[in-house]
Amino acid sequence: MTRCLDEATLQGYFDGELSPHLMESATSHLASCVTCAAAARELSEETALLTSALAAEFDVSVPTQALRERIDAAVLGERVANAGRSEKPGLFASFVGVFSFNSQRALGYASLVAVLAFASIFGIVKLREPNVTTPAGSSDKSIAYTPTVPTPVVETNKGNPIVSQAVSKRAPAAQGSVRPQRTSYTPNTSSNRKDTLSQHPVQLLPGERSYLQAIARLDSTIKENKDAMRPSLQVEYERNLAVVDRAIAATRNAAKSNPNDPDAADFMFAAYQSKVDLLNTIADARLSGGRGH
Amino acid sequence: MKLFVVSAVAGLIISLAGSTPANTSKSDPVPGEKIERSTAVDPQLTVTLCVASGKLTVRAWDKNELRVRSTDAGQIELRRLDKVKDASVPASRIDVMVLESTSKISAKAPQPDCQALADVEMEVPAGATVQVQTRDGDISITGVAAAYAGSQNGNIEIARATKVVEAGSIGGSISLKDSSGRVNLSSAGGIVEVVNLKPSSTDDTLEVGTVSGDILLQHVSNPKVMAKTVNGTVTMTGPLARSGHYSFTNMTGDIVLALPHDASFQLNAKVSEKRDIVSDFSLKYLAEMPAPPAPAAKPGPSPEPGAVPRTPTPPKTPPAKGGPQVKTGPIISPVIVDKPAVAPYILRRVTAVCGTGDATISVASFGGTVRLKKI
Repeated sequence: MTRCLDEATLQGYFDGELSPHLMESATSHLASCVTCAAAARELSEETALLTSALAAEFDVSVPTQALRERIDAAVLGERVANAGRSEKPGLFASFVGVFSFNSQRALGYASLVAVLAFASIFGIVKLREPNVTTPAGSSDKSIAYTPTVPTPVVETNKGNPIVSQAVSKRAPAAQGSVRPQRTSYTPNTSSNRKDTLSQHPVQLLPGERSYLQAIARLDSTIKENKDAMRPSLQVEYERNLAVVDRAIAATRNAAKSNPNDPDAADFMFAAYQSKVDLLNTIADARLSGGRGH
Repeated sequence: MKLFVVSAVAGLIISLAGSTPANTSKSDPVPGEKIERSTAVDPQLTVTLCVASGKLTVRAWDKNELRVRSTDAGQIELRRLDKVKDASVPASRIDVMVLESTSKISAKAPQPDCQALADVEMEVPAGATVQVQTRDGDISITGVAAAYAGSQNGNIEIARATKVVEAGSIGGSISLKDSSGRVNLSSAGGIVEVVNLKPSSTDDTLEVGTVSGDILLQHVSNPKVMAKTVNGTVTMTGPLARSGHYSFTNMTGDIVLALPHDASFQLNAKVSEKRDIVSDFSLKYLAEMPAPPAPAAKPGPSPEPGAVPRTPTPPKTPPAKGGPQVKTGPIISPVIVDKPAVAPYILRRVTAVCGTGDATISVASFGGTVRLKKI
């Protein structure tokens, strides 16, 4: 049984923060899991989008001169006001000061009241909520209730539940329709990640490991180059990588379901070799291509 | 004596330098003016050229001379790599250094090669081996003996090569026409087209590989052809080489072989059971083998939603002669698998012969259709 990679692991994979062993495990999982491959692509695209969208912000020194001047002026004004108030000494004055509603303090009290109200409503709802969630044969046919099957996405660390139990008890109706819970992001420590992957290791097919090791090495080589990949190369690379990954996933499923068929395995190895060739080409281009790669 | 010492020192410097400028005829560069360098070379010259961006054009001519021209480059230097001390001997290996006007050529410092943004034209002897590389520009090579070309996004066109062609691109297309010899072409996303290719020796091969680009082969007579793509379509048109070996592999695209009506070949095909082998030729099927049986533990396809579980028909057991008749009891309805199972992939293996089976065509398509057309 395999469990999908959580977002923290995926983020670590893209940031190159995973250990070589974890990198290999993640690579092998991504090669075999369509859901995680799609999630990885989505995450990569989001990161690229954010990077490009905020590039101007990153380049500008923050705060700007105008903003700095406004902040300085505000701080100076506040100091002057405080100095004025400090001229009224005494316990009563400080007690009265608690109830003096200037605009900032009023906002703070309002926020506190809102938080308390929300917390009490949430607590009441949780107390009234029944233990059993969706009954079998309910109108929601897309999600079958299977109490014992863990969700592919959810990580339930000891004492640190990452998502609600109601979600964790649902099993996906179909592998392709499952999407990782993007709201469930909780930064995992590297030990947690190790637990995730070591408890549910991907069952590799015979001969698959060497390809995965080669892919992980090439992937690391490509990511070691800190220079941004040129957009045209990036587009071509990701487009073809997606094609190859889909082919690997499809042929791997076929090889897995036909373990006695050497030709099915041959297709899988051919798909893996295509990925190795593609990564080799990209790594060569990044290493030998000069500036701007 | 003085002359001897000067010559010895000069020879020592040249030998230590490792590479030295060739004996070239040149003029001082003026911005915007065409720069031209030329030198006498060996007929079997090996010349290398690398730029960051720009179109590279290489033509063969009938002179034992290398000529390089560019209007965009700041400087062009022909650096001799064959380490021949006698400068009067024609160079057999030359690296063409193309630099922008801001760069300085120095024999001691590492050269910023492959950095220039310039269109470059070269004339080389017909027997030359050419190695060219650019990042963004197109490459055009005509009439050389051996061509090695690489471009990331540019298109590569090679014509009338006589011995060896190796070309690779990531996003660009590759076209090889009217050539002969051993050929290896690869592109990730571009189309690869080969037209009129002949072998220059009996063991010359044609190898083509793409990821998503299509592969088009027309009138290829090399005795061994291998075409492999992940997502592209493979199309081969023209007669088969007698006793030739053709291997086509793809994952999802179609494989189309347009052959003469009198083609003679043996077809070894591996295709998905869900896909067809469509043939205009009358094939004599030698064998069609199903895939090896899957393990018994594998769950079968799940019943359709809403379908009523059917009780399977009990197998007809022949009554044993003289023995007790075995009564078959009612069969309990099959176990419903809650978890939806993917339909199993089944591979078909077809072996068939057309004519006398001279050539061998091996086709492996994971999810595409194989078409055999008559032309």
